[in-house]
Amino acid sequence: MYDRKVIRRRRAVLALCVALSLLALTAYFGESPGGLLHGVQRGAQEVLSPIESGASKVFKPFRDLFGWVGDAFNANSENKKLKKELAQARTDLAQAQSSSRDADQLRKMVNLQKEPAFPNGMSPVTARVIARSPTDWSSTIQIDKGTSDGVRADQPVITGDGLVGKVAQASSGNATVQLITDGDSGVDATVVPDGSGGVIKTPVGDPGDLQLDFVRQPRNLRKGLTVITSGFRAGQLRSLFPRGIPIGTIRSVNRDELATYQRVHVTPFADFRRIDLVQVLTGAGR
Amino acid sequence: MIVTAGTIVRVGLLVLVAVVTQISGFSGIRIFGGSFDLIPLVVAAIALYGGSVTGSIVGFACGMLADLALGHNLGASSLVLTAVGYGVGRFGEERDPAHGLIAIPVGGGATLAYVFALGAVNFMLEINARVSGLVLRDAIVTVLLNAWLALLVFGIVKRLLRPVLASEPGRRRRPAETRPTGPLGLRGLEV
Repeated sequence: MYDRKVIRRRRAVLALCVALSLLALTAYFGESPGGLLHGVQRGAQEVLSPIESGASKVFKPFRDLFGWVGDAFNANSENKKLKKELAQARTDLAQAQSSSRDADQLRKMVNLQKEPAFPNGMSPVTARVIARSPTDWSSTIQIDKGTSDGVRADQPVITGDGLVGKVAQASSGNATVQLITDGDSGVDATVVPDGSGGVIKTPVGDPGDLQLDFVRQPRNLRKGLTVITSGFRAGQLRSLFPRGIPIGTIRSVNRDELATYQRVHVTPFADFRRIDLVQVLTGAGR
Repeated sequence: MIVTAGTIVRVGLLVLVAVVTQISGFSGIRIFGGSFDLIPLVVAAIALYGGSVTGSIVGFACGMLADLALGHNLGASSLVLTAVGYGVGRFGEERDPAHGLIAIPVGGGATLAYVFALGAVNFMLEINARVSGLVLRDAIVTVLLNAWLALLVFGIVKRLLRPVLASEPGRRRRPAETRPTGPLGLRGLEV
């Protein structure tokens, strides 16, 4: 049996730790992003950043090994799928080349060149991923570039495949990127060439299934169409993401005749679980 | 646990290495949707061998460091890991488990509690999106992976903490030897 003193001390330590955690949570939620605790957090990230960067390089061979094993399992089905996609892409290319000439003429007619064309003027900054969120509940990554490289909050972040997220916060040597698969993320997107607009949200835990919500019902969307950022502007209000960054392709469409909107499932171009290098579009929104 | 400056440095380094290894290494390794999660395992191992007080403090520190490093809601992980550390510590104090494979159920259980409690806290705080059923699959895979990784992690933690522990972990205590009674049958009277 424990004596009363030991029991009291044990309970006091537990109560103190729980109280401090609740206090930190309350204060963190209550303050602005420029507040004390956010500042402490940025400072801690600054200090840990070189350690994380070194550890990330050390662990890269192990990550690649596990990735290679996973890829080997999927290679057969992936090969068949890619062959089909290649055949489709050849057909699309022929159509696109003829459409391209038409589009050039149309662009002149409707003055489309005023639209911010991706990726012109975006001043991309390449960064290495040094840390990843271990939980499904918060999809964030940390990169090794920060404000000293021109990275600022709310700038779009892409990989070679397409859009992956936006900078959530930045300190001088590193930045936190909120992926578009984060539960709190929302990206205004449009389907091309259809032109239907909606908002990309992702169910927590399934980064392979982006969902384009608020697409009006009569639109007849079909599998395989490409979804890009819409870059909408309405007066002072404008999207953080410039128009034209590819997001993914339509996988399926849920149609409910009674609902006002339809839900479109989108397969992302980017592989969110294996991101090593990203580019921050530092010129966006200038 | 014998608390000295050396103990604090030793445990502090263990926590730092665990958090950095997790966020820079293990988080990028995906197996059937789940991944290893070193953080609850290290907290559980230290709590099992160090007791509930140590478990609570280490859980709090580990959670706070993870939240600071990742830019998550400050306090969410520390709240959950404090509870996990305390729970495992109390289990160790009450049951004094000596079985060599105790790391598997304790590591698995601690991960299960951590994954679901952290999910619940995050869900209550600010998640505005729908939750896919795959979260459950990922959580179960993580628990299973961690249950196996626990054998290795608990072994390393036990080895590192052995010099500062008050008693040898995992060694079953034998009951005290009874002394022969005196001629009058009174215990303690030796002739």
